[in-house]
Amino acid sequence: MFLPFFYQLRDQGIPISLRYVLEFYQALEKGLALDLDRLFILMRLIFVKKVEHFDAFEQAFASYFLGVEGEAIPRFTLQAWEEKDFSRWLEEELAKGTLSGHDLENLSLPELLKSFWEVATAQKGKHRGGHTWVGTGGTSPFGHSGAEREGIRVEGDSLHGAALKVIDARRYVDYAASATLRAENLRQVLAALKHMAPAGPPTELDVDETIDQSCRNGGEIELVFKQELKDRIQLMVLLDNGGASMRPYLDLVKLVFGLMRDQFKDLDYYYFHNCIYGCVYSDPQRLTLYPIYQMLRRDPETRLIIIGDANMAPAELMLSDGAIDYFSKVRVPGRDWLWQIRNYFGHSVWLNPIPRHQWPQESQTIFQIGEIFPMEDLTLAGIRRSVEWLNSGAPPKKTSSRQLAVGSA
Amino acid sequence: MQFHGTDKYYLNPELKEIVNIAMAMDKPLLVTGEAGTGKTQLAFQISRALDLTLEEARCKSTFKGEELCYVYDTVLRLNDSRFGTKESGRDVNNIWDYLNFGPIGRAFMADERRVLLLDEIDKTDSDTQDNLLDVLEDGSFIIREINHKVKAKYMPVTVITSNAKRELSDPFLRRCYCHHIPFPDMEEMSRIVRLHYPEITAPLMDSALAIFYHLREQGFEKPPATAELLDWLGALQLDGVKPPLSPDTVPFLGTLLKRTQDLLYHKREKA
Repeated sequence: MFLPFFYQLRDQGIPISLRYVLEFYQALEKGLALDLDRLFILMRLIFVKKVEHFDAFEQAFASYFLGVEGEAIPRFTLQAWEEKDFSRWLEEELAKGTLSGHDLENLSLPELLKSFWEVATAQKGKHRGGHTWVGTGGTSPFGHSGAEREGIRVEGDSLHGAALKVIDARRYVDYAASATLRAENLRQVLAALKHMAPAGPPTELDVDETIDQSCRNGGEIELVFKQELKDRIQLMVLLDNGGASMRPYLDLVKLVFGLMRDQFKDLDYYYFHNCIYGCVYSDPQRLTLYPIYQMLRRDPETRLIIIGDANMAPAELMLSDGAIDYFSKVRVPGRDWLWQIRNYFGHSVWLNPIPRHQWPQESQTIFQIGEIFPMEDLTLAGIRRSVEWLNSGAPPKKTSSRQLAVGSA
Repeated sequence: MQFHGTDKYYLNPELKEIVNIAMAMDKPLLVTGEAGTGKTQLAFQISRALDLTLEEARCKSTFKGEELCYVYDTVLRLNDSRFGTKESGRDVNNIWDYLNFGPIGRAFMADERRVLLLDEIDKTDSDTQDNLLDVLEDGSFIIREINHKVKAKYMPVTVITSNAKRELSDPFLRRCYCHHIPFPDMEEMSRIVRLHYPEITAPLMDSALAIFYHLREQGFEKPPATAELLDWLGALQLDGVKPPLSPDTVPFLGTLLKRTQDLLYHKREKA
């Protein structure tokens, strides 16, 4: 009896799943919705999980149960169709053959959604325990093309063709270690980054080691503590967002670290163009300065990842008027700035989007910077190696010939 | 079992209904809202009103989740194995003597229904949160050392609070009933105040509330909340301040505004 209302909720952008619907029916059986007020509260508790959806819910409720039209409630939107559950259902129906590509062309969006819910609620009994097929992941090949005809056009003519296409596309090639960073292998990158070394004080009792040491100690108890395994580290990412070679990677890089956000105690991005001089910028437009001398006051244990193509005119790196220091007006070549940063942050690495084998052809500055920072490319293997660099905190291969008095600036 | 609030706690009718629904459905109730909206108090009051024992866990960022279920005291056992005597009453060969149960463990093992408060869950890692919710949803956890499953005899009435310092993950939200407690309006606030100060005079209350809500609208970094208001009113009454209060010279301003910047800003405005 409430099915149209559920559509309306989805329509309003409130993500609801079959699981909620089942829960709602269970609550009804328990007699928890004796009047409209209680129904309202019950539904809100079950279907709305975020404050930002409260308002949309209230509007939908008012419109459905009270016939009140507040601000015009939008009709079915394309966005609602990209909800995962639904598209997954579509995929399955297509696979089973109950829906054909032809149906998809002809059925209207509301009709499709309706049959989705019919199936979903009809299976209520069977799926009480599992709730597996609705509410899990799945990507959406639907919803981005055929809005104008009210149907959803699936790319490819038939399912058979689509399967061939998938095989032909060699989906798994992205998971190979040599693959460069892209949306498909994000998960692995994340897993690789998770291997960052334990941080923090040694507070966890190492039971095995304690017993071992106690035995060696003739039975006198010798407590051995180890560092807690926790990725609670500070991370700073410097992004070169100037060069064309970087552009395809910017969003991905941010996505990767964004997903990891709560793994880190601190995660900051700064931007630079080509090479680093007296400062980096805290906004992508490179308007707000973040001076290096400030950066060099951070916790030296901070992990530093610089992502850039390291491809610049040699002059930018080597000559003192490659850029002018904003603060002291001292002319300092980029190379010295890099040394300064490298010497301060022991746990640092340079990630280069240019594949390693192309480095010799690209630019000599890649190797010059590679002498300062350990450099890896943005492949899975490269990222894994760079995590090792970050963990071990490799000492600089040599120190800079010139030390800068940046602190006094 | 129905929850109707207590004499010390003003219960919004909507919130009352929500608590009762969450109890009927055995779902953890996640309450969010500004500091001082009575999120934590809710659990205390449920426990008082229904006469259920409260198990309280104040979350810390270092929590991994497991310590809320149980802690295995290895050091004590090691020590006992070396220096232990009969007087301790512990048997080194019996691991159960070295297991300490946390709030979740106690709530699960109790022979009656308990109220479980997980305060400020947003301080913990998202991994911890997910682990905890698994435990709370199943009503069971495993003591890894002996592979023993502890199953809840009675599902506790679970109240989780969050200041939304960090976003909670979607799977987490999905498993809870979520309620955002809005800041009480003036009428509700006067009821709350009356619960705490039954003898307060109407003129004092009115002029104090007017100033309080005026200050809240000033966009301070830390706007005064219920707790500050109650402190302030307490101070005013102790000092015998007579209404009407003037907004220009608020006595005991320090009880309302806590941040230096806010205080300075307020003074500058008045000057």
